[in-house]
Amino acid sequence: MLVFAISDKGGTGRSVTGTNIVYRHALQGNDVCYLDFDFGSPTAGAIFSVSAVARGTRENGLHHYLRGECPQPRRVDVWAESDREGLRTRPPGAGRLVLLPGSEGGGELSALTDEVVGRCVQLLGRLDEEFDLCMIDVSAGRSFTAELVLAATVRMPAIPFRWLVFHRWTRQHIIAADGLVTGADGLLDVGTRFGHDTDDLRDRIRFVRTAVLEPDAAELVGLRDEQRAWLSACDSELRELAGRHGVGRTAMLGKIPLDPVLQWREQLITDEDVLASKIANAETATAFEDLAKKIVDDSAWEGL
Amino acid sequence: MLVMGEVHTGLLQNSGEISESTCRQVLGLMAGETVRVSRRPIVHALSPERLTGVDCALPTASRSRVRGVGTVVSRCAVTGGRVAQGSSYVRVVRSDADRRLPWSHYLARPGVVEVLGKAKAADLAEGFTGDSAPGRPDGACLDLGAVSGRFLDLVQQSTLLDRRAPFKIPRTSLRWVAETGEPSIRFTLHAEQERTLRLTHPGPFTTAVVDLCEDLATHDWLLTSLLVIVERARIGGTPGAQAVARLAPAIDHLMHLWMPAARVEEWLTPFWESLERRPGFTRQWRSLVDRVRDQVAMNTLALLNATADAGRR
Repeated sequence: MLVFAISDKGGTGRSVTGTNIVYRHALQGNDVCYLDFDFGSPTAGAIFSVSAVARGTRENGLHHYLRGECPQPRRVDVWAESDREGLRTRPPGAGRLVLLPGSEGGGELSALTDEVVGRCVQLLGRLDEEFDLCMIDVSAGRSFTAELVLAATVRMPAIPFRWLVFHRWTRQHIIAADGLVTGADGLLDVGTRFGHDTDDLRDRIRFVRTAVLEPDAAELVGLRDEQRAWLSACDSELRELAGRHGVGRTAMLGKIPLDPVLQWREQLITDEDVLASKIANAETATAFEDLAKKIVDDSAWEGL
Repeated sequence: MLVMGEVHTGLLQNSGEISESTCRQVLGLMAGETVRVSRRPIVHALSPERLTGVDCALPTASRSRVRGVGTVVSRCAVTGGRVAQGSSYVRVVRSDADRRLPWSHYLARPGVVEVLGKAKAADLAEGFTGDSAPGRPDGACLDLGAVSGRFLDLVQQSTLLDRRAPFKIPRTSLRWVAETGEPSIRFTLHAEQERTLRLTHPGPFTTAVVDLCEDLATHDWLLTSLLVIVERARIGGTPGAQAVARLAPAIDHLMHLWMPAARVEEWLTPFWESLERRPGFTRQWRSLVDRVRDQVAMNTLALLNATADAGRR
């Protein structure tokens, strides 16, 4: 299963949510890998706390590979190479957790050639042989990278794939997320041009809300009644807006609550962060766990 | 001087094993050339050979620059309708000329790479398989693994396969060097899925040596994969029924494929036999297979007991 992670804008928490989903999926006993296709700023290494590739890798990164500069991209075994003590031992029953870092200072892809698409097809095909889940971080907004993977998946009709569109729970983000999928040069538009079936592609796309502040959240207890009433009104307004833009509940796969840890430092939230040091909220970890299950649960992906 | 090759082995990306006729179609890489199939003791299909022209540096342990020009021979195989391989090799010889000759010269010698200038066989062998060998050759160096990997991709991307493999499993790569001399064999497991093999055989090189390496690669992959499946089952750490369910793919798809030395010529069987003594491929395989079967038996007993208890109540 290939899962492409994209967001309407930068700063939505796409990478931190994607990496946490992958981490939880590995803990659930699956072999997983994370491909940092965010060529503008490949920082997945930092989230996994692998300092050697915190800003991408100087040699054999994904960008080098796609340009044909190395036969195979570098792989980082997170269980072995992470600097965080809590990550450095593979928990019993957990699957492999592998990061394919981007190239340091690689820059966005500047053109989409047949060779580049061919290399992408070869890479994803091989990874699909050995990993239960491959998550590909496609960066924010419309990009050559998004076009690249849309072109590549057309050539691999037998390999299952899904898209996650991450967006924040605000007016602008809801409108932008809808635009990214259905707008001009959006995913459906470009995908159809490359040869995908529009309806089939739409069924493979789900939204994930990030940094959501629920009106009944514990954090809001100290607020004045007026503030709470205002928040509640905003929330219902947003829900109505999301429904109109096709970003409503039916198209949503899950939501991640606002968590200070994710706001101040992008990192994996381990059970230790929740139970021992208590810096992260249990709801956040549960939300990741839930998404890690839903991502492969066919009933959550039935046609809309 | 020496022969070097690399075999990549993986699980055929299909839900079940494929029939002999499908094997023929999947491996029919070139129109007009036939796929060779042997049926006993296990169905084994071998594609026609294809050539890749190379003009590049050869890997050396001393890191001295050695240029080789010629062609690489590659082929694909499917064993038991289930295990797919891409395999490439070159015979490295000294060139009589000190410069590159017209391609017609090299095309007339398929599978031969001629070395321009000075080179020592030991340096090349060590560079290709030794501990000092840099994990993977960089783009500028002869990379037989890249060629073999591509040929394995050709098989796996066949439209005749449904790509719904019963379990996910990594490919393994076996890099080998064969020379003529006093018989000896050394098989080494490296990090992850990398293996190397150093072979010294009596008499001149024939393709039977390639068959031996491919046979070894198949069995090493089988053993590696069974180990992974048994590890994933977490016997003792999870309830019996759950462990058995995780072992099922091994029973369905792997356990009947063990046929060591099935395709190895008589004069090369002593090499397999020596590997059977140490490290003992079949010994480890048997113990794993027994372990899987014992788990299934124990689980059946538990189920029978549960049924009997329910009946008494």
